[in-house]
Amino acid sequence: MALKQPPKLANRLLKSFCKPQYLEDIQGDLEEEFYEKVELTSGPLSPLLWYWWQIIKLFRSGIIRQFKPIDSTQKEINMFKNYFQIGLRNLWKYKLGTIINVLGLSTGIAAFVLIALFIRDELSYDQHHEKSNQIYRLTVKNFNVDGSMSRQWAFASAGHAERFKSDFPEVAKAVRFYPWAFPDVYVDGRKFQSEQVVFADSDVFDIFTLPFLQGSPQTAFNTEQSLVLTRTSAIRLFGNDWIKEDIIGRRVTLERSGMKAPFTISGVMEDMPEHQHFHFEYLAPIRFIEQVFGESAMDNVTGNYNWLTYLLLQEGANPKDVENQKDSFFDKYVGQYSNGTDAKDYYGFELQPLTSIHLHSDLEGEIETNGSIQQVYIFGIVGLLLLIVACINYMNLATSHFSRRMKEVGVRKVLGAMRSTLVKQFLTESFLVNIIAFPFAILFIELALPYLNDFMNKDISLNILTDWDILSALAGLLLMVAVFSGLYPSLFLSKIDLTRALKGESAINSNKWNFRNWLVTFQYAVTIALIFSLAVIEGQLYFIRNSDPGYKKEQIVNVRLTRNIKSLDAFKNELLNHPNIIKAAYASRIPTGRLADSWGASYQDGDSTVSVDFRLPFIWTDEDFLEAFEIELIAGENFTASQDMTTDSVGYYIINRTGAKALGYNNPREVVGKKLSYGPYNDVTFKSGRILGVAEDFHFESLHTSIAPMLMLKGGTPRRISLKISGDQVQKSLTHIESVWNQFDPENPVSYAFLDEQFDNQYQSEMRLSTMIKFFTGIAIMIGCLGLIGMVGFIIETRSKEIGIRKVLGASSMSIAATIGNRFVILIGIASLVALPIAFYLISGWLNEFVYRTDISIFMIFIPSLSVLAITVLSVGFQTVKASLVNPSEILKDE
Amino acid sequence: MKDYQLGEFEEIVLLTVAILNGDAYGVSIKKEIEDRLQRSVSVGALQSALRRMEEKDYLSSKFGDATSKRGGKRKRYFEITDIGKQALAYTKETRNQLWNAIPDIVFKFSWL
Repeated sequence: MALKQPPKLANRLLKSFCKPQYLEDIQGDLEEEFYEKVELTSGPLSPLLWYWWQIIKLFRSGIIRQFKPIDSTQKEINMFKNYFQIGLRNLWKYKLGTIINVLGLSTGIAAFVLIALFIRDELSYDQHHEKSNQIYRLTVKNFNVDGSMSRQWAFASAGHAERFKSDFPEVAKAVRFYPWAFPDVYVDGRKFQSEQVVFADSDVFDIFTLPFLQGSPQTAFNTEQSLVLTRTSAIRLFGNDWIKEDIIGRRVTLERSGMKAPFTISGVMEDMPEHQHFHFEYLAPIRFIEQVFGESAMDNVTGNYNWLTYLLLQEGANPKDVENQKDSFFDKYVGQYSNGTDAKDYYGFELQPLTSIHLHSDLEGEIETNGSIQQVYIFGIVGLLLLIVACINYMNLATSHFSRRMKEVGVRKVLGAMRSTLVKQFLTESFLVNIIAFPFAILFIELALPYLNDFMNKDISLNILTDWDILSALAGLLLMVAVFSGLYPSLFLSKIDLTRALKGESAINSNKWNFRNWLVTFQYAVTIALIFSLAVIEGQLYFIRNSDPGYKKEQIVNVRLTRNIKSLDAFKNELLNHPNIIKAAYASRIPTGRLADSWGASYQDGDSTVSVDFRLPFIWTDEDFLEAFEIELIAGENFTASQDMTTDSVGYYIINRTGAKALGYNNPREVVGKKLSYGPYNDVTFKSGRILGVAEDFHFESLHTSIAPMLMLKGGTPRRISLKISGDQVQKSLTHIESVWNQFDPENPVSYAFLDEQFDNQYQSEMRLSTMIKFFTGIAIMIGCLGLIGMVGFIIETRSKEIGIRKVLGASSMSIAATIGNRFVILIGIASLVALPIAFYLISGWLNEFVYRTDISIFMIFIPSLSVLAITVLSVGFQTVKASLVNPSEILKDE
Repeated sequence: MKDYQLGEFEEIVLLTVAILNGDAYGVSIKKEIEDRLQRSVSVGALQSALRRMEEKDYLSSKFGDATSKRGGKRKRYFEITDIGKQALAYTKETRNQLWNAIPDIVFKFSWL
């Protein structure tokens, strides 16, 4: 029985450290006693343990041999010189192989590093503020009557910050930003139009770390009419030489809606860094607009979510403790509404950690577009896979490449090379290839970075010489890749049989199923998974573009209105006074936007009043809205031109089909004429009104969300005019729009957008993802092809005799090509079986973000495998056919 | 007079090698000590002591013939050298001197 033998591993351990001249008798002694103990004791375990224990106790001076005689270092160096030289010669000798290797590795590394840079950048947002882990953004949640959340706002009400500071001991400081002023700025008679001057509380400098170039945070907001610039805005206002003069104390004038106010420059800050989730170029004290708006207008604790609010909590304070006090907060400041409901049931707070905003927050009205953590995960996985694929590629190529050098390995072995020596040699060569590949990788990165930055709206750079983090990370990567990719070939080649090696035979029977096949399968699997994901993403984008949103998005131009357009009717008529402009409609919000406004509603069902327990948002429109967007009216009537809720003080509503259903009327006709009280149109403030018509459902918001109930109201304050223009002579229409605009508002330039572009913009992140995946798939395919070419070359080389003999025995070229090629079909089959379910699972998660989505078709499932097969045939078909066409006598004459 | 350094365990091992007189190899020495002194000895401790004393020339060793018994591995027989004998004698002598120097009263009291 095996257990009655002394453990081999223990003996090997002993051998590894014991002085060789002592080994024999000590081991003999041990074994003698071991056998005795086995005889004496019943179980095998205690002798075994004893044996191990004795060997461990032998680990003491006098028994341990001396390691590493000092003179061997020089020898090692000499050997490395030799490996180096041989390595270089081989790289030079097989130039094509070297190029393929270097290209594959450097592309993979470049892709990986690019993604790593991108992720590093994404993760670094808002980390630079000294107190970043104590800063939280105050966001407000709105709840529906039924308790479900309706919206969560990135902004808070004006009255929140001050009350939080005074009521909650956890809150040390609070700042509000009001970024919506956009005044014109006058400097020495020059005008800078619509600058984003952001008004902020003076706590801003205590909360955020904002380094000053001139002036200081302490004195920045000393007076109500101080203005803090950044480097960029200082250059804009005072030219490139501003830094040479002291611009503190210089006067500028801010003007908005005819109101002028003098301001004094009180400081210049460094530009807000790229990795910050907001960027402001001017800061001014909020006390100034307090005066303008009046203090009472800035006292509300619900609604008016225009104030970006950040709280600095006391050290160690828990944000949850603040959130949990919302009930008492709303009880104290709002209390009960006239209809008997409590304000606290409609509102809630969430304190978002500053550093998590960029990647984890996607709320109503984010000040800038944030990143997404999902994207970081996707890219991270893809980057890692690409690196592995590149390494695998190297393994495959190197193994087949080295096997040409069997004789060299044989001779080295005969001359006394140990396995470890050979491993060292081949690892040295893999280091060499990596060292060559890295500069190329860096070159590729430098070439690709501008495009990536442009595409991702970033400012990433690769400062190898100045950024020690990057330098050391690259060095680590070089080491890892070299060892990871070089280990398998070197282990594999060093273990081959001496006699076979000397005969120059191949190391292995390439026909056998071996580790390398698994490597290729992995490569295939990655490619298949990527192509599959791409197919689904493209499928969804196709679905989006071709799905009917319920309205006509072509040939509609939306013009954003300003306060200067006073006479809406005249403006509209003037615009329509051109043959190319077919229809014009005012609206507060247009499809592709968000349904952000909503009021409470109740409706009359017979004699009883039923309050609407779902969210029923609204937009202001006019009588031309449905026609301009070609939305069908399925019941009742459209608005008339004379109706206006604002002037008539009575409600006029058109509801959508989903809304009618939600009110309990499956037949839209039945809802027409029903009395609906909505917001202030509740028979108290204004008269409630009746539902005039029902519109067919249309996708006001993107396909990510399902069609919600909504109301169109007649009148109100429109913010846009949508113009239906005829298909030809678009430019003429635009010129007309511009000239009319200039008549009505000469101060501001016209700002318009095409609806179909706005529609596409809703899916920008998806399109971006698609482009990135395309790019990565391309890289994976390229690397994979290089690997395949190498692998097939190897197979053909090692099986050339077999091919020759088969031909002599009458095999056709076709059948030979098939014997070589059929393996790839099997590999692709296995890879598909592994990759598709995983990719299916992952991409379903992505697809589920859409309420309206394409089905994953059989077509999408087969496309990846088939295209990989096609790529394989294209890349190695030629080689295979060439091999099968060879004259057998050419091959067989050697022997 | 030459200075003979001998540790307690070394002394025991050296004495045991002398006792076994020509039949002293790893296992037999170990068993002899374990039998006589009723203490367990690890191979490591024994071997390092043996090798140390071989270095000091208190012991000499030679391989025995190979037998089939212990996996074909030869035994190494240890023998005490003249220096080893002198070291033992010296140790014993110094001990005796010390014993003799103890005043009688010390032991008398403890035997009361």
